[in-house]
Amino acid sequence: MTRSKSRREVLLGAAALAGAASLPRVASAQAKGRIVVGTWGGDYARLLNKNIEAPLLIKDGWEVVQDQAGDPERRSKMLAEMRLPRGTTDVQGLSAINMFQMHDAGSVLPIDYGKLKNAGHLLPAMKYPYGVGHIYSGKVGVYNPKIITTAPVSYKDVFDPKQGNKVGIIDIQYQYTMVCAALAAGGKVDDLEPGKKLLLECKKAGMRIYPTNEAFAQGLKSEEFGLGVMWKARVVQWQNAGISVTSMTPTEGALAYVSGFVIPKNSPNKEGAYAYLDAMLDKSAQEAFAVDMGYNPTVSNAVVAPDLNKRIGFTSDEIKNLVDLDYNYLNKNDVALKEWWDKELKG
Amino acid sequence: MLSATTLVGPATVFVAAGLLVPLAILFRYSFDKVDARRIMIETFSFDNYVKFFSDPYYTGVLATTLRVAALCTVVCLAMGLPLAYVLARTQSRFKNVLLMLVVLPLFVGNAVRAAGWMTLFGSKGFLNVTLMQLGIITQPLQIMFTEGAVMAGIIAVNLPYMVLTLQSVIEGINRNVEEAAFSLGAGPATMFRRVLLPLSLPGILAGTILTFILGMNAYATPVLLGGPKFKMMGPLVYGQFQLNNWPFGASVAFVLMTATLTLTATANILIQRRFRR
Repeated sequence: MTRSKSRREVLLGAAALAGAASLPRVASAQAKGRIVVGTWGGDYARLLNKNIEAPLLIKDGWEVVQDQAGDPERRSKMLAEMRLPRGTTDVQGLSAINMFQMHDAGSVLPIDYGKLKNAGHLLPAMKYPYGVGHIYSGKVGVYNPKIITTAPVSYKDVFDPKQGNKVGIIDIQYQYTMVCAALAAGGKVDDLEPGKKLLLECKKAGMRIYPTNEAFAQGLKSEEFGLGVMWKARVVQWQNAGISVTSMTPTEGALAYVSGFVIPKNSPNKEGAYAYLDAMLDKSAQEAFAVDMGYNPTVSNAVVAPDLNKRIGFTSDEIKNLVDLDYNYLNKNDVALKEWWDKELKG
Repeated sequence: MLSATTLVGPATVFVAAGLLVPLAILFRYSFDKVDARRIMIETFSFDNYVKFFSDPYYTGVLATTLRVAALCTVVCLAMGLPLAYVLARTQSRFKNVLLMLVVLPLFVGNAVRAAGWMTLFGSKGFLNVTLMQLGIITQPLQIMFTEGAVMAGIIAVNLPYMVLTLQSVIEGINRNVEEAAFSLGAGPATMFRRVLLPLSLPGILAGTILTFILGMNAYATPVLLGGPKFKMMGPLVYGQFQLNNWPFGASVAFVLMTATLTLTATANILIQRRFRR
């Protein structure tokens, strides 16, 4: 017999509230009120402050506080706080699949696009009913031309057992890697079985598995391997760091990676939350993120310099061809997919 | 006058609130069922424990953890005992400096230290480049992402704990009892076996338990030096929580804790019985 659990949610919620009380302040109290932003730490948090919060919100009288943590922790917190009348954050930065997960759990507010003056410029694909896309990139093929002399053109060329130990994949990117392999093997975003089979063949042929994006970059740099898949934005950062790597948009269509923001249903300051989303879509903030992070703007009025656009952007055909994940399928099967990844592929 | 209750109270309340209550909650979670939408559904089933013990993958992770922790403890003891003896008996005026040198590795966090090992062990790291330049090897050795790398990392972290524990106990053993053994005709090995070892047993036990527990619960070192294919229990627990599978993560945490406590207590009892005779 099962029942929902208010007791533990109250306990977890209390813990979350206690945690929120110790949040670092990034700006002193201002006239318009406080916006609490759930975000990853590191560069992304720094750039949110530099490109959105300081120039567009704090200057206007808002107080902005960042609640920095990894997304699993922040998602757990959102679920734990769900039943509380008043949550501890106003907006939460999540990837598209995790925005869907929180929507599916019933923890986020439907977005009223009428409240966003910049929504008119938002690309239609970035307008989720439950969240707003902030930046996007695509999963492209990456290769070192010194090691891979015949340029790959598709995911199929990347996940080719004939490449042996020249192929590398990233442990923490298991979902996207499995979908890329599925597309390479003729599967679909909601049918990963052909991809699993192909990955096992690649593993047998010597495919290398790296724990993190950084370890993958290190392997590319030291020429331990020369072929894989990665966000185009990240490839640009690696090129800037002097790593010999070229990217290609796969013929199957690049898997889209979207990072955006949702508003928790119990956000204490919904007006502030909408102000944050609007500032995030501002032309100047979007352009700055393209320059600083290499991700593409999600608004049509942002202007990206042609040379930068050539490196980070996609042609209109490639944009049309972008493949979105099946969020519902991945959300329902995440535990099983990760178990397969750990036990069968890595084991 | 302060009563015993007043003295014991604050620490007891702190431990109860900060450790026992969360442990009790986590233990209850371990009988729940994972749910993609609500993290978990409250129920009472042993499914998570059955899943762990019936799947060779998970029992293999436990076996790896036990093996690594036990081997690291043995190596720490073998390397730590002579070092601790020298430190305890030295009359050098640099004794405090030597002690500081032993503790020095603890001045940096596990993750930072593991990052240092990565630069040493990598295929283009210091060790491989040196060996290749000396012409000893032609291809870089695969050291990173192996059990050996993890063990080297864990031993480096745990050795100071073993040395410090042993050194403080050996220092408390009167030098005269060693001299007495020698004067009665015992060689160094006999003196060690019949005098030093039994007398330093409390330190050996404490150091062994400490390093074994640290080895069983290692996280940063196996993640950074073991790579994605090498699994120990600490990273497995965290991985389940990252996946929002709290019930299974909780059950793995309790398997780890029970295994550690049981083995530690058993070793303690067996060793004490052996040397009481």
